[in-house]
Amino acid sequence: MFGKLLIYLFFATGLTSCIMYFLSHLGKEKFLKPARFFFHATAIAVLSTAAYFMYLILTHQFQFAYIWEQSNTELQLPLLMSTFYSGQEGSFLLWTTMTAIIGIFLLNYVSKGDRLEPQVMSIFTLILTFLGLILILKSPFLYLWEKFPGEVEAGFIPPDGRGLNPLLQNFWIVIHPPTLFLGFSSLAAPFCFAVGTLMKNRYDDWIKFSMPWLLFSAMVLGLGIMLGGYWAYGVLGWGGYWAWDPVENSSFIPWLVIVAAIHTMIAQKRTGGYKKTNIILCIFSYLLVLYSTFLTRSGILGDSSVHSFVDPGYEVYLALIVFISLFTLISIAALFYRFKELKALNSEPNKLVSRESTLFIGSITLCAAAFVILAGTSWPILQKGTIDASFYNKMNLPIAILIAIINGMSLLLKWKSNNDKMFFKKLLFPLLLAFIVTLALVYIGVQDFLIALFAMASLFAFFVNAELVISTFKKNKTAAGAYIAHIGLALIFLGIIASSKYSEEENLSLELNRPVNAFGYTLTYIGATPFEDPNNKTDTKYHFNVKIEKDNKEMVLQPVMYYSEYSKGVMKNPDIANFATKDLYLSPMGLVEPEFFSKDEMIELKKGEEKSLGDLSIQFNDFDFGDIDMGGHEIQSGNYTIGAIIKVKDSKYTETIAPKIKYTDGNPEYLTAKISGNDTYNFYFVKMQVKGEAEGGTTATFAVVNTKTSPLKNKAEETLVLTASVKPFINILWTGTVVLVIGFFISIIKRRKELK
Amino acid sequence: MSKKAKTITGIIIIVAFLLIGVMSFIDSKIEYVNFTEAKERMRTVEVKGHWIKDKESRFDPETNTFTFYMKDDSSNEVKVVLDGAKPNNFDVAEAVVAKGKMKDGYFHAKEVLTKCPSKYEADGKEVMQTKQN
Repeated sequence: MFGKLLIYLFFATGLTSCIMYFLSHLGKEKFLKPARFFFHATAIAVLSTAAYFMYLILTHQFQFAYIWEQSNTELQLPLLMSTFYSGQEGSFLLWTTMTAIIGIFLLNYVSKGDRLEPQVMSIFTLILTFLGLILILKSPFLYLWEKFPGEVEAGFIPPDGRGLNPLLQNFWIVIHPPTLFLGFSSLAAPFCFAVGTLMKNRYDDWIKFSMPWLLFSAMVLGLGIMLGGYWAYGVLGWGGYWAWDPVENSSFIPWLVIVAAIHTMIAQKRTGGYKKTNIILCIFSYLLVLYSTFLTRSGILGDSSVHSFVDPGYEVYLALIVFISLFTLISIAALFYRFKELKALNSEPNKLVSRESTLFIGSITLCAAAFVILAGTSWPILQKGTIDASFYNKMNLPIAILIAIINGMSLLLKWKSNNDKMFFKKLLFPLLLAFIVTLALVYIGVQDFLIALFAMASLFAFFVNAELVISTFKKNKTAAGAYIAHIGLALIFLGIIASSKYSEEENLSLELNRPVNAFGYTLTYIGATPFEDPNNKTDTKYHFNVKIEKDNKEMVLQPVMYYSEYSKGVMKNPDIANFATKDLYLSPMGLVEPEFFSKDEMIELKKGEEKSLGDLSIQFNDFDFGDIDMGGHEIQSGNYTIGAIIKVKDSKYTETIAPKIKYTDGNPEYLTAKISGNDTYNFYFVKMQVKGEAEGGTTATFAVVNTKTSPLKNKAEETLVLTASVKPFINILWTGTVVLVIGFFISIIKRRKELK
Repeated sequence: MSKKAKTITGIIIIVAFLLIGVMSFIDSKIEYVNFTEAKERMRTVEVKGHWIKDKESRFDPETNTFTFYMKDDSSNEVKVVLDGAKPNNFDVAEAVVAKGKMKDGYFHAKEVLTKCPSKYEADGKEVMQTKQN
């Protein structure tokens, strides 16, 4: 009850704060102080809700449906804490909590100086209120007997929970969702600044003080997206880090738009132009966050994604639609309300070949990418069917080439200038260098024209920015942030080219202890070893140890497979050998149990049936259950012997023998039977198949092994089947991501400094 | 460049981009059909249905394919050969979606998605089972 009360409480205080902020926007300044008070009350109530929820999780209060569904007593602390947001209700609460935390910093920020506090905060508190509404409709504090009325008796507390989905049981769930949600939540700030500036009818200074927020969002969301990519690559075994899945796409689209906004805002700061563009981009990026939430939470994409979407129920579906529609309407209304003023805003006539117009073209290109991805991702809503991932690759390749070119070129151009003799001079060196390196790449095998062009554009961007980092770093360290971020992007592009376009893949069957060569390595499957996962004691997990050898160096990779009681299926995790220039990626496919006999050696017979095999004729008479008692105790224990009586005729004799299978702990051992006077053949009883009368009755399968032609196998070996792939230079991609994040971070410091 | 010339250039670029976009969009469109319709279409499609558990299903390590029989929503039964191993959650999936092409008599799937809408949703019976354990 307490949890629900807290949600109602912050819904009410949030709404009150929103109304008071709006009144103070209308000029009634006496409401400003109480509005702040109510916002703080809201933030405290949200944080208390989160803390209380976490307390319930940590103390295993399984009478709550969410906690019973998501966790159990086995989970260790980090994963147990992650169950906070592993389910739908909890992830809404995480989003709300992150938004409230952002709000505390935002209020502290806008209340200093003249930073549109009433306008910004009235929109921001409205967002919080709406998140509260969703939590009221989809409460994480539902008791089991409220969720399953009639099925579960009131007051029932299960001794244990159902546990966390094994797909989510790894380190990345601890950091990926919180990072992504922090990014999503922080995009509310640029949105509120943009709408706030319309409310206030003041279009110049907002870009300065909202800039650090945009950079923060782009940094955190970008990091969150790439962490998700790494999770998919390193643990889930999807083989790649990006699959153009709706969930990935829908977090990527707002990122593209906010990055576009950052660039046109810099252009506005320098030239005064693009005022309308900036407002619209900031608005769009948050509306796209809401749209993305709708796509991934409403169950509407249920059939087109590898992610599992749970239908949240009609109320939440409706609330999400109202949420998006309302904020879209607010934005449109604000734009219309200021239509005249906006129209009067004079964008300065800009020169086509100047830094601001190339920045603008760059932003348009980013938006084009966003549009392409948005169209593909939304398609299943319009028509039954999906869009193949090749669409995104095809469309985004030319866009990415253009972005790489602009990334380098714009920085060589001057602001507000059309006539720059220095431009070509500065262009020459990085272009030449990029050209030479590309020639070398073409020589070693980059044959595709567009890919070579993409590589050259990325290298060009890399060299331009590297030069700028070196020259600016001496003068002003924080000014290098943008260039560092650009280097990061160029590296990401190069990493993508190398690791995806030039990735090689091969399916391997590794028989136990038999070395196999692939990609210049010698791979030997040396057996499986069980290991204990402290988070999951129900299932026994196995490492499938593969020895990798090259140039007298060796290492062991341990892909994992196990049967999951939770998913009722086999779960597989890859293992990766990370070398400086490439990753060797082993993705397990399955384990093939030993086959003792080949197909040609086996024969299936009904009772009484006689068939010939080579120069022999075999008739199956009956089973021999020996001393097995019919109660089946031996069979249950797994230790028993059964036989089958057959009559064998060769050219001279007829003899009746009874080959047997001896089971030890359920594992079969085939006992050899022979006929007298003929040493060539070994006879084995392989299996019994119980079938109904309609199918002709129970059959037995026998194997006849010619010891002269077929080498006698004492023991057949199990075979590990896996997909091995080599991802060249994938490290460049991860390095690029880190560099990009560092670049954003330095830029935040720079823009914060400028404000002081 | 005059403002008019700029606008025209802009429009040409946008139209060209949209044209290319729409064309490659049509190329990459994957329709949801049943097996009968899949036979008529020569291109990649998606078929939703369920796994026929009584019929043979096996993984062949030589070709790295998983073969199973599937019944679509219009009750057509077709053999499906998937490139790769048995997908996760295949046994508990209440529906599967196979993406691929019809080939002489069987459906060659590049990908099979398993649909478990109720995978994370429990019911009351399961709660009471916890009690018995």
